[in-house]
Amino acid sequence: MLTHEPLRRFSGTIKNHDRAVRTVCQECTVGCGLLAYVKDERIVDIQGDEAHPISRGRLCAKGMAFVQGVTHPDRITLPATRSGLKGPFEAVDNWEKGLDLLAERLRKTKDRHGPESLVVGCDPEAGLDFFLGALRFAKLWGTPHVYHPLGEPKDHLPPVDLIDPWAPCTVWSHSQCIFLMEADLATTHPVAFGWVLDAQQRGARVFALDTRFTTTLSKADMAVVIRPESGNLLGLVLMKTLIEEGFCTQESVKNRFLEPDAWLTSFNEMSLDNVEQKIGLAAENIISMVRFLARNQSLTLVTGKRLAFFPDHGIWSTMARAMGWADNTGGGWYPLESGWPRLNTTGDIKSADDEGPSAKKTGLAPYQFTTDWANDSSEMKPKALICTGNCLNDFFSPFQPRVNEMDLITYFGSYPNLTRKLAHMVFPAAVWAERDGLSFTNDRTIQWGDRIVWPSDACRSGLGLWIRLAQRFGWEEYFPWKKENGLADHSAFYNWILERSPETSGCQVDQLQDTSKLVHWPVQDKEAPKKITPMHAPSSIPTTSVSDEADRFPLQFQATRVISRTNDVVHWWPWTRELITENAVQIHPEIAKALGIENGETILVTGAAGMMEGRAWISRMVPEWMVWSSRKMDEKRVVVHKRDQTSEEAFDILKAFLP
Amino acid sequence: MSQEQQKTEKRKDLLLVDSARCIGCYSCEVACKLEHNLPAGPRMFKVIQMGPVKNGDNLLMNFMAVTCLHCDRPACVSACPTGAMKKREDGIVFSDPELCIGCQTCAVACPFGVPQLNPATGKIAKCDGCMDRVEQDLWPACVLKCPTGALSFGTSARVVQDVRGQEAMRIARSLKVDR
Repeated sequence: MLTHEPLRRFSGTIKNHDRAVRTVCQECTVGCGLLAYVKDERIVDIQGDEAHPISRGRLCAKGMAFVQGVTHPDRITLPATRSGLKGPFEAVDNWEKGLDLLAERLRKTKDRHGPESLVVGCDPEAGLDFFLGALRFAKLWGTPHVYHPLGEPKDHLPPVDLIDPWAPCTVWSHSQCIFLMEADLATTHPVAFGWVLDAQQRGARVFALDTRFTTTLSKADMAVVIRPESGNLLGLVLMKTLIEEGFCTQESVKNRFLEPDAWLTSFNEMSLDNVEQKIGLAAENIISMVRFLARNQSLTLVTGKRLAFFPDHGIWSTMARAMGWADNTGGGWYPLESGWPRLNTTGDIKSADDEGPSAKKTGLAPYQFTTDWANDSSEMKPKALICTGNCLNDFFSPFQPRVNEMDLITYFGSYPNLTRKLAHMVFPAAVWAERDGLSFTNDRTIQWGDRIVWPSDACRSGLGLWIRLAQRFGWEEYFPWKKENGLADHSAFYNWILERSPETSGCQVDQLQDTSKLVHWPVQDKEAPKKITPMHAPSSIPTTSVSDEADRFPLQFQATRVISRTNDVVHWWPWTRELITENAVQIHPEIAKALGIENGETILVTGAAGMMEGRAWISRMVPEWMVWSSRKMDEKRVVVHKRDQTSEEAFDILKAFLP
Repeated sequence: MSQEQQKTEKRKDLLLVDSARCIGCYSCEVACKLEHNLPAGPRMFKVIQMGPVKNGDNLLMNFMAVTCLHCDRPACVSACPTGAMKKREDGIVFSDPELCIGCQTCAVACPFGVPQLNPATGKIAKCDGCMDRVEQDLWPACVLKCPTGALSFGTSARVVQDVRGQEAMRIARSLKVDR
């Protein structure tokens, strides 16, 4: 066996420090090991933890720039309140007074509009403890409305045995092929992408598909651009073609699937009418892709989170199983942002609706919220919002036009963002570096991150908020995790949750201190069933309906997040903020030429309901028919135009240009 | 070169940028800011996106991580009126903040536009090769933190050896020698 020893790394700090904290970065879901050096309760240096198996001492821009957010002068440090949404905030002396006020206002809203009028938005910025605490509080309160972007959609993950065995990024270098499906790892999870490049260097081939030419696609051996929202459909088509080309036979699936014949028949009967147009690929491209894939015995299939919000997402786990990719080391399915085990958070609370808050009345996930959904015909009548992060400008943005109808908007956060501007009450939140916390990663590890520094002034953790609020309603027994000094005891809280949840029982926080040996869930080995029921091909594929909108708005609009911008908090990180032209709107050079738009020029993006101003970033990263921005806009179809041009004029020009 | 000279000659390290592995994540830029306590503005390490450009039916896109080249005959050093800009024996070109008057003559002289003014101090900010770290045998901050291993650092012999080793492995694997 030939081996190559990589260069020895010489790591460490030269900064004068009192202590070093070994912890886990919580900016994204990779779970990199950090060594934070602290002097006089200020972070003076961040180094990667060389012994950490996932990150191997490496870090991305987010994992360092967060330091600027911790000490930012604009941080919210005191609770505050005001009566309307216009006036200035009045600082409240302390948390206890603030919480008394909050409890009173919540109680009034409940009396007037019922318990389901309370809606809680859990931005990842507020921490896992805020979300889990919110689930408990909400169940006691009687509302099912608790939303967290990573916890949605509720049914996006198949049972654990369906994705077993999965391939953590640390074994990707054994893979022969890495298939990245709408997963722009290079942008969103750079440290994990380091493993893709390692695998590629060892001879693995990288096949990447996305809706635009992303950084990930630029590093791939085979890069394909497909139409938005057609990813799962492509999965079905690939599966059908794999069967038709003889790469997946009755013989090969009979030991894996229950009723393999019925499964094969469902794909044989699936119609391919219109799919070429819907996906944006010709049949011969699909056949060459299938041949590219079928050559590999071990293949890692990485799927992006966006796919989970569309029908037929189950095709990916079925495909990995059917093709036997998961049978070899380095192969398997790796769904991004799906590293949470099933957590039993509220099982001990009895309520009339015993299905628990997870049984949503609205089957919607935050990123599927639309302005339609937030209108009056919706069954949801929110009157009190508890918001975190900048959720009113993100997954709760459909509530924005309705803020004046709310009795109470409470903001639990760290920075003076738009959500704070729209709030009646403000409570200062600790950032992750200021609280002990558990994190679940894409690799399905359970990691413990120690607090790096104490929170400044009156900032508290999410669990701290719920414990104190629950007290005011006589629910202390449901929130017993308090230290003698009155602060929230995070390790006791997480120990309690871990112990009573099926995939994590047997693991305690103490075991997680040594980050060089990772704990994966399920903690206790379970015998996976040999045969599973696979996802069958749907009997019909919805036909593309060319709407009136498509007539008027010829371009497709897509918004995704960009590098070094985990979320809104980056506004308080000058180092990374300067790297991003925030209002950039990507348009294709041919479109720009047709409309006479220059690079950097101010342009307007107009859709049926809204308009956005931005600066043109002329780039072939987008196909001709797409407009991209890092800013969200509630539109799928748009037209771009110059400021002195109407959207109709631009449409007439583009009509001649686009097929 | 006599043996005597070889002994006294300072060890020279080099920084290798492998563009094929650079993903434009700005990790090096931020690592540099953290290490040197810089404000937003001056970028001592710069990642530049190139493309995508059309190449037949395909698109090509690349990233260039650019920093000071620590020239053999640095124009900035010759131009500096106060002698703040210096070249060390180990090759590192740096600006001594105690002597720098922030006149930016070096910035004009540099053909690559490397030296920039740090608005927080009124002095020149420029890659100093992390000389304080290197003197303690530590890698520069940008190299250590690069998430993809696009940057590597060491004596030229060691870095070249590493590149050769990796290339040999690639060839061996494509010939399936090790399978």
